[in-house]
Amino acid sequence: MQGFIYPNEFELHWGLLVVLYPYITGLVAGAFILASLERVFNVKEVQPTYRLALLTALAFLLVAPLPLLAHLGHPERSYEIFLTPNRQSAMAMFGFVYAWYLAVVLLLEIWFDYRQDMVLWARQSTGLKKWVYYALALGSTDLSEKALKFDDSAGRWITVIGIPSAFLLHGYVGFIFGSIKANPWWSSVLMPVVFLFSAMVSGIALVLVLYMITTMFRWRRIDMACLDKLAQFLFYAMVVDFSLEMLDFIHRLYESEESIEILGQMIESRLFISLIVLQIFMGSVVPLVALGLVSPGLRKGGFVRVPPELKQFVYFTAAVLVQIGIFSIRWNVVIGGQLFSKSLRGLTVYKVELLGLEGLAMTIGLLALPFVILWVLVKLLPPWQSDEEVAPA
Amino acid sequence: MPQQVPRLIAVFVVALAALIGARMALVPDTFGDLGHYRAAAVDSITAHPKKYAGHAECSLCHGPIAEQRLTSNHRTVTCEVCHGPAAQHTTAPMDIKPTAPRERGLCPLCHSYNPSRPTGFPQIDEVAHNPLTPCITCHDPHAPEPPEVPEECSACHGQIARQKAVSHHTNLQCTVCHEAREEHKVNPRANRPSKPVQRSFCGVCHAQDDLSGERIPQIDLRSHGEPYMCWQCHYPHRPESG
Repeated sequence: MQGFIYPNEFELHWGLLVVLYPYITGLVAGAFILASLERVFNVKEVQPTYRLALLTALAFLLVAPLPLLAHLGHPERSYEIFLTPNRQSAMAMFGFVYAWYLAVVLLLEIWFDYRQDMVLWARQSTGLKKWVYYALALGSTDLSEKALKFDDSAGRWITVIGIPSAFLLHGYVGFIFGSIKANPWWSSVLMPVVFLFSAMVSGIALVLVLYMITTMFRWRRIDMACLDKLAQFLFYAMVVDFSLEMLDFIHRLYESEESIEILGQMIESRLFISLIVLQIFMGSVVPLVALGLVSPGLRKGGFVRVPPELKQFVYFTAAVLVQIGIFSIRWNVVIGGQLFSKSLRGLTVYKVELLGLEGLAMTIGLLALPFVILWVLVKLLPPWQSDEEVAPA
Repeated sequence: MPQQVPRLIAVFVVALAALIGARMALVPDTFGDLGHYRAAAVDSITAHPKKYAGHAECSLCHGPIAEQRLTSNHRTVTCEVCHGPAAQHTTAPMDIKPTAPRERGLCPLCHSYNPSRPTGFPQIDEVAHNPLTPCITCHDPHAPEPPEVPEECSACHGQIARQKAVSHHTNLQCTVCHEAREEHKVNPRANRPSKPVQRSFCGVCHAQDDLSGERIPQIDLRSHGEPYMCWQCHYPHRPESG
């Protein structure tokens, strides 16, 4: 502790799990927006990642509310926000935003996209598996040309609805923080927009990493055109995201409200590693420079021509650094907003617990859970194309 | 109509019906009558059996102790805060006895060091302060006075002492700025120490025409921050914090 703080500011109420929650919802929204590139905007190069992105979004969406349930306690009461909706509370309305996105957008889009395959798998399989696929297809076994065309157009329309829904899902998370007038670190109208673009960055980077890992483990050759396109969009999303973040900083500096001095002290001391080193330098500048040089974002073929293996390594490293950077953004927003006193005269500290309902072990567990769910989903609904090239031995 | 549509509609209708059914079955009748809660909860809470008697009931039988407490530093801490709910004791005084905490664990709930507690509130470091000795060995909880008069200001003003220790004012004794009468140590709230009341007091070291040397920040007292006292903007226990 340093300087003066009010009594109720000594302990932070929102800890590591509340950092995890916007990080996970951001990945959901970002992965879905990437999937919509192929579906709505007809970016054919990223087609190999379309289904993987949808399944990734679903796996992370299923885990998204768990950090909140663990943080709030009494998960057995959580259904009550659906039964007695409180329209005065943005947090209470999240249940409906979540349900809309899960049931109307993601599950429907995956269902329409996979229906044909599920029917075919049901026909090829035997025993329990046959009935699982039959039930998943809701017994809708019509594979006529007209029915398949309907699947396609319905999927496209749902994606069109899904894009503003994904914006709603993660914009809402930024809105929660941005609308807290009493906290100068959070209260910014740019907050939902910054959250949105950082969501896109994290979602694209995650799918890029997952695509590379899954392709390598399946002994298939990585589609470089797809990877280049992913890196290109990652670069563009990062440029916009980084510009918005810098705009936010410059705006705060220019406004120079009375809080600017304590916020400056906080950045120089408490947040130096997580904001200056991890978020800005490691998570933004280094990947931006790397992708700017190697990816086709600024020049076709990149400024520096490198062998595909090195290119893959650069993309992979940049995407991992981006993940660290985006997690740092969430940390800096959630934790940073509670480290300084509302008296603007002092700073407190946050120490992460190892065990317990809100500790590091729980966070790691919740972060690992979506990957387990994704593994199950991939086993059940393989997202791979049959015409992929086998990697040379 | 394609085959998919009626099946999906059926799924959504079932989900919607389940939600409506759950609402009808689970939302209490009086929910929302008074606000976003079950209005009947007010009645069910008031119907709970009384557990606390209130300190007026205690003083009927324990008059001398109650009077002693009323003039002590624990005058705002009522009997049942330490002794627990005593409503049953008032109906059967000899059969049901309230607890009398004698172990070391209870007092630190309020008196262990915590930066969020107000300055001047007696706080101790449980580990270092007479380890293993029950608090009531030295302190009478009905009239808690320190058995020895504190030698240092930091005994009660730990938070200020910790801040001052790492500030530019570290070498200044508390008594340079505060005059504390001896009675302050025994009855602190009735005998508060003084604070500087003249801007010229800080000017002894910080005015432009003083003799303190250039390494100490100096300002023109006539133009800087009139008409406020220096400590209204600068926190003297850690002046560099703003």
